Amino acid sequence: MKRLVLVMVALAMGLAGCRAEKAKDGLVLTVWETYNTEERALFLALAREFEQANPGIKLEPVNIPFDGLEPKILTSLATGTAPDVARVDVGFLPKVAIRGALAPLDAYGIGAVTSELRPVALASCVVGGKTYGLPDQVNGLCLFYNKDMFAKAGLDPARPPATWQEFIEYARKLTDKRAGTFGFGMRNSLWWSLPFIYAFGGDILDPEGKCALASPEAVAGFQFKADLYAKYGVEGGAWRAGGIRDDLGFQSRKYAMVFNGPWAVKGLESAGIDFGVALIPGGPAGYATNVGGNDLVVFATSKHPAEAAKFLMFMASKDVQARWANSLGQIPVNAAADGLIDQTKYPYLKVFMDQMKYAKARPQTGSYPDIENAVNPEMQAALDSKKSVKEAMESASKLVDAILAEEAALTASLK
Amino acid sequence: MKAVKTMVLYAVLAAAAVVVLFPFFWMLVTAFKQPGHEFDPQIFPRNPTLDNFRRVFAEFGFLRYFANSVVVAVSAGVFATFFATLAAYAFSFKNFVLKDKIFAVLIASMMVPGLMYVVPQFAIVQKLGWMNTYRAMVVPHLANVFGLFLLKQYMETIPRSLVDAARIDGASDLQIYGRLVVPLSLPVIATLFLLTFQFHWSNFLWQLIVTNKESLYTVPVGLAMFKQAHEELYTLKMAASAVSLLPISLIFIFAQRYFIEGLTQGAIKE
Repeated sequence: MKRLVLVMVALAMGLAGCRAEKAKDGLVLTVWETYNTEERALFLALAREFEQANPGIKLEPVNIPFDGLEPKILTSLATGTAPDVARVDVGFLPKVAIRGALAPLDAYGIGAVTSELRPVALASCVVGGKTYGLPDQVNGLCLFYNKDMFAKAGLDPARPPATWQEFIEYARKLTDKRAGTFGFGMRNSLWWSLPFIYAFGGDILDPEGKCALASPEAVAGFQFKADLYAKYGVEGGAWRAGGIRDDLGFQSRKYAMVFNGPWAVKGLESAGIDFGVALIPGGPAGYATNVGGNDLVVFATSKHPAEAAKFLMFMASKDVQARWANSLGQIPVNAAADGLIDQTKYPYLKVFMDQMKYAKARPQTGSYPDIENAVNPEMQAALDSKKSVKEAMESASKLVDAILAEEAALTASLK
Repeated sequence: MKAVKTMVLYAVLAAAAVVVLFPFFWMLVTAFKQPGHEFDPQIFPRNPTLDNFRRVFAEFGFLRYFANSVVVAVSAGVFATFFATLAAYAFSFKNFVLKDKIFAVLIASMMVPGLMYVVPQFAIVQKLGWMNTYRAMVVPHLANVFGLFLLKQYMETIPRSLVDAARIDGASDLQIYGRLVVPLSLPVIATLFLLTFQFHWSNFLWQLIVTNKESLYTVPVGLAMFKQAHEELYTLKMAASAVSLLPISLIFIFAQRYFIEGLTQGAIKE
């Protein structure tokens, strides 16, 4: 028995005592990325090319699960062990940028690339006049529609609705409540409501930086969204707790039209859905959509920000972006690459790119997730007809202004 | 009357069982579906496929994640349980200065949510140069206050007279511990091992932040890879989940007697 105890203690101490391997010599840039399998294969190939073109710089990419990236980054920031480069969601960048965790890149000659970038994509990297990263992926919502269901309802599958008026007419014809199918399926949340709010001329913030969600335009936009369910009855309640979510319902032919983005194409094709993609119908303020995506950033703790910036410029360059778009069917962040895109290979890519012309970036606040959390329950109450849209948007505005005031106080204290 | 009562009881229990088991059932059938057909109206797959399982291992390296998880969960389970038995023995049968106060402080520490420790523990592990090692995943969790508490409560039900008799016969502490207390506490020791094993088998956040190498990822971290910002690879995720549940289900099936007994034993003192 004595021997067993000694062995166990010795084992545990041995476990604790081993030395870690030594860091490699030379210049190594660690990169935390969240690419999916196809993206990763291309990314690794590009990383090798970058290493060959820049002897002396080695890249060490680590694939991190999307949902684990933010806690991992925040823990590493607390201990000064952040990587050199990371690929972060556009909504996360301002949160770390205003706290001084990112290196501003303006001094490293990024102007040569930024002048070519899609403005909405670049805007997601700029906070307080400084550029804290370069865009890696940009996308926005478009209208997806089921061509089979269009044909069965006597609509022309080659002619998707162009205006919101037309959209309602179409949706009425596509709704068959007895069969449980609906013209439209939608999601509740501020981001998913932005195409409506923008199309009616509204915005999240006004030019002075106050919340503008209670403006007549924003209220009209959200009122229209709420009416699709409550007044016109063409929306299937996809946003309700227990409802069938928009993207799943589109796949199971319950909703004939939904909003979705470029990421959905592959799944819908493998599910055998005959679908089309169109611009989201135009409203009083014209066409509009929201912006999402990812940026590559350099952390302030990096010892090699110039080399890291060089890698970011390589990734956002015209040629790399053209290859990225042509092999993955994604929107290039570099507009100079538009002419190099093979339109035949990805028939929907042109629509996605057209839609991006009408995309509007979100305000660069470090509290965007908090804003969503505050606004969404109010929007839910309005969709549920528990509150009028105006009431809901007014109380949402107050909450947002309080969040922004808190952030302003924090930013001032950090300076 | 009694028969009616039994029937109602069984009906309620059967309904509850369906509710509990349905997610597992759905996981299994989805694991055999073609990608893109997860939410087809029919429950059973039209063209069942084993391809999801193949891809989980061939393309996503789950064999490696699986091996890592086994190493981490088994070693953490064994060592944490072992240290807890030593500590519980001391707190149950020995006297030392401030014993009750120390125990009270330890118990009070259980009220601090585990997440609070993540950053300081990470800082220590990092300073020690343990990043990207199994030790980083195992060592910080070896002192297990819950285990100490569970075992102490149980050991105190062992009659003092038995321990005293052994001592009169000349047994040392190590002999009393090894020949008497541990064998008598086996059910609850087994329970503690299973609980710590299960905790480490499903621990996501800690194992994610102390590894910067995919070759050291464990099963929970690997499972999270199937979810992107907008897309989720359900069929692969379910196939991997089904496989990852195997060890835990096997252990549970063979040891469920201990699971249940261990938790209730020691609750009553006679």
